Amino acid sequence: MFFEQITGNLIQGLVLGSVYGMATMGLSLIFGVLKIVNVGHGAFIMVGAFITLWLFNTLGLSPILAIPAAFAVGMLLGLLFYYTTMRRLIKAPELASLLATFSIGILLEEVIKLIFGSEFRGYNWAVGKLNLGVTVLPMSKLYACIGSAIIALLLYIWFNKTRAGTAMRSVVEDSEGARVCGVNVDGTYAMSFAIGIGLTVVSGVLLTMFIPVGINPYMGGGYTLKAFVIAVLGGLASPYGAFFGGLVFGLIENGSYMLFALIPGVEPFALTRFLSFVILLIILLIRPTGLLSTK
Amino acid sequence: MKTISKYYPLLPVLAVYFIMFLVGKNVSGMWQLVAMLLFYCALGQAFNIFLGMTGYVDFGYVAFMGVGTYGMAVTITQLAHVEGLGFLVITIGFLMALLFSTLLSLAVGAVALRLKGAYFAIATIGVNEGLRFFIEGARIWNGSEGLIFMAELNQILGRKTASALATFWADIMVLFIAMSAAYVTLLFMRSKIGYALTALREDEEAAKVMGINVTKYKIIAFITSACFAGLLGAASWALKTPYVFPPEVFEIHYTIEAIIIVLLGGAGTLLGPVIGGLIYGLSKYYLSIYMPGFQLLIFAPIIIVIIVIFPEGIIGMLKNRFKDTSLARFII
Amino acid sequence: MKKNSLTIILSCVAVFCFCFLSNSFAAKKKIVIGHPACLSGKYAKAGEQAVGGIKACIDWVNTNYGGVTLDGKKVPLEYKYYDCESKKESVTSLLGRLITVDKVNVVFAPYSSGLTLRGAPVSESNRMLYMDHGGANNKIFTQGFRYVVQTIGPATAYHEGTLNMIHMTDPEAKRVALAYEDSEFAKMVMEGAETHAKKLGFEIVFKRTYPKGVTDLTPLLSALKASKPDFILGGGHFEDGQLFNRQMADLDINSNALSLIAAATLPAFYEALTSMAEGVMGPSHWEYGVKYSKSEAKKVGMEWIGPGQDEFVALFKKAVGKDTIPDYHAAEAGAQVLAYVLAVEKANSFDTDTVRKALGDLTFMSFYGGWDIDDSGLQVGHSMVDVQWQDGKRIIVWPREARTGKLVYPIPTFAEKAKGKIATP
Repeated sequence: MFFEQITGNLIQGLVLGSVYGMATMGLSLIFGVLKIVNVGHGAFIMVGAFITLWLFNTLGLSPILAIPAAFAVGMLLGLLFYYTTMRRLIKAPELASLLATFSIGILLEEVIKLIFGSEFRGYNWAVGKLNLGVTVLPMSKLYACIGSAIIALLLYIWFNKTRAGTAMRSVVEDSEGARVCGVNVDGTYAMSFAIGIGLTVVSGVLLTMFIPVGINPYMGGGYTLKAFVIAVLGGLASPYGAFFGGLVFGLIENGSYMLFALIPGVEPFALTRFLSFVILLIILLIRPTGLLSTK
Repeated sequence: MKTISKYYPLLPVLAVYFIMFLVGKNVSGMWQLVAMLLFYCALGQAFNIFLGMTGYVDFGYVAFMGVGTYGMAVTITQLAHVEGLGFLVITIGFLMALLFSTLLSLAVGAVALRLKGAYFAIATIGVNEGLRFFIEGARIWNGSEGLIFMAELNQILGRKTASALATFWADIMVLFIAMSAAYVTLLFMRSKIGYALTALREDEEAAKVMGINVTKYKIIAFITSACFAGLLGAASWALKTPYVFPPEVFEIHYTIEAIIIVLLGGAGTLLGPVIGGLIYGLSKYYLSIYMPGFQLLIFAPIIIVIIVIFPEGIIGMLKNRFKDTSLARFII
Repeated sequence: MKKNSLTIILSCVAVFCFCFLSNSFAAKKKIVIGHPACLSGKYAKAGEQAVGGIKACIDWVNTNYGGVTLDGKKVPLEYKYYDCESKKESVTSLLGRLITVDKVNVVFAPYSSGLTLRGAPVSESNRMLYMDHGGANNKIFTQGFRYVVQTIGPATAYHEGTLNMIHMTDPEAKRVALAYEDSEFAKMVMEGAETHAKKLGFEIVFKRTYPKGVTDLTPLLSALKASKPDFILGGGHFEDGQLFNRQMADLDINSNALSLIAAATLPAFYEALTSMAEGVMGPSHWEYGVKYSKSEAKKVGMEWIGPGQDEFVALFKKAVGKDTIPDYHAAEAGAQVLAYVLAVEKANSFDTDTVRKALGDLTFMSFYGGWDIDDSGLQVGHSMVDVQWQDGKRIIVWPREARTGKLVYPIPTFAEKAKGKIATP
């Protein structure tokens, strides 16, 4: 019984983790290239969720079709905020960029609240379920998982096989060196920020495929905190490291519940959260480059 | 004469506080507003001691206020049934708040201060959230149900004194915390610590090479800043607010507010956090009166504009303008 | 120059005197209700409702009722509210302004127990009546406050009715699972539910909480599924309630009954979950369709005041400018206006102590139901109703005398619901 339950939880954790991982790739990309922590990360996820909801409820479009739409909106938002704000803050102290991204997050939340109201919404995309015996998996979750994996793969290919991707990697390694070698650093910054935000907004779509309820302007906060932990697990500056970080995080969150539940007199669910932050601190101290790095 | 002129920069700070006190005391209906402004000024000043001097962004700063609040709250609930302690309980409460925040800052300082920049910011967020979930998960100090202790305060101090404490004397304590934070800031600025930290803020590696014990001074500033946060929590969130619920005292928004206040006034200046706190508190107050429901929508773009256009803050800007005039010795 | 400044000073004095006079003059002409409302921040949703409900009832008192009768004269009500941003610092500073600058006669507390507690010492020290429509924590009333009066029912009572109902409907049901949010309010509901369930002889087979802001409940729900409960009580707030229901459907966890606090009674709940919400229940302080009326009040021998239900809904729509049915946050705030009006009339004064005493003696019925407080100010006269989603409509199924339809028990399974089966008796 115990093992059946824990296997079920771990399967769920793996599926969830892939989506979490995808939801962190944008954060890691932006940090990797621009050295800016996007504290308003969750707000962009929320924007993706509202795009999905709106397309589904008014036009009846399936969430899968919302992915390209969300990416386009994300790119545009990214370019907008890059050229109006972030561009001037790249060399500024952390304080300024942290506060700026946070304010952008608030701005998005309040604008969405003005348009859609503060109601908690959801949509119902009925595509059946898959019974695995130990647990039940709705197909929409499976699609979200597969979608995340495909996007992670595409990003990997783009990074390693295209010219723009290589330029981006060279900026991550050494921005001055890249500039000397003729890489358009400012253009690369803008591109990375736009793609990073695009990925984050897309992850909002995938997250609602996973959890299609509770969509509201302030839903992003919890995801921001999770994304920090996952990003650190994956090495903070590496987008596909973040994807694997997500998988590990999903497994920890779902697996440890059963173990904490064995301790009497505690609240196991809150302790799983506690554990994830303890792991965050340990990794930051021992291996700030992430679990998967070879350095 | 020289020793007195050393304290010139304190004058504008104290003048602002004095005016606030007079307005609050004499204009009817203003005291609670002044109390809120004092809270924001104190928050900014306490936060500035570490952030302003070192440039390290402690995103989980609110955790120190949280443990300080718990220090006071736990003392009150535990000692309520002991007869005849009276104000001693409050004193013990402040000592406990100091103890808790010192211990936490030592623990965080020992580990997280080795990290830099964004890594430090994320680590401190981790400490704050982790602590909150630990209190809820392990059911420490009554877990998520929290502590509600107005009845205990009444029992210890008597109804009248307890009420006066919550509505007046707690704010006076905040005022004292704010003033001592200003004094300590000036003390640091004018001592070896200040010079070392300035060197560190400009270039940490170079400071190390020059033989400055960077870690020692960082930790001193960190603990001092944390202790003020603990005291502020105890006064404003325990004595003035007779309850503690974990999600409310570990709410990261307060760190953000502290950052906004410091940045608005000017990081690393003495007068900056006071002016920042005043502007922040007053604009929030009047926006909520005249445009209820739209404060954040108006506030967010303003903050972005401020960061982009004058990242040095108001006092930072004034400092540059009055650089070689007689006013310069008052504004640092 | 000299003459100029003299004119300025004189005119200033004149304006000041005028303000002062008109102020003291006006104070007798109207009764002002002050409210540091939560119009933005985390409680914005409930705060907007409360403001709408208060406006609706004030509108009724001023136009239909003709004002508050004081010394044989009709005095109109006025409403003064600011936005506290759901933050404690703003609550006290705005309270200070309301009490001393706006000279209000009564203060309505902000939403949530925490914010209510933050404001209490300030209103207490100003000898100001402080009426609580959004703080359900029972402990507010053991702190020795003199002027705090509650309209919302205490948290411990939320699930008592549900347990009674299931106990009477299905004597076979024994195994109950409790899964609530880890917050001060939901924990108190859970405590009340646990005590009451034990009293009725239920066996508690599962009792766990989940943290605030949770985004995935899978581990908790899998463990809940393994405990094989007959019915499930839980919830905490709005978003987690939707998540709870949705993930139960995802994991195919079926039980005879599911009752979630806060979330399940809102229209948005069904809009988000559609058929998955069929048969799901929630306790509520008030719901559109309750049968409280003037004749009902007469039957039980209680005094009646206020608009009828449909009248209230119409006034609410007018006040918020939107075509929505109010939820219980609006109703309880509105009923508080009526309680205050009645107490002022009975006391024939708006002196705080006299009105507080009158409130203590007051028992009445309005569209919101009964209203009666005990010595500490805790609401004891209001009973909650239980609402069940049947075919997309909120049907009141408990208590029997207030119900608008029969309870569906056991509810259809999620597989049946996905095929289009609805919960109808």
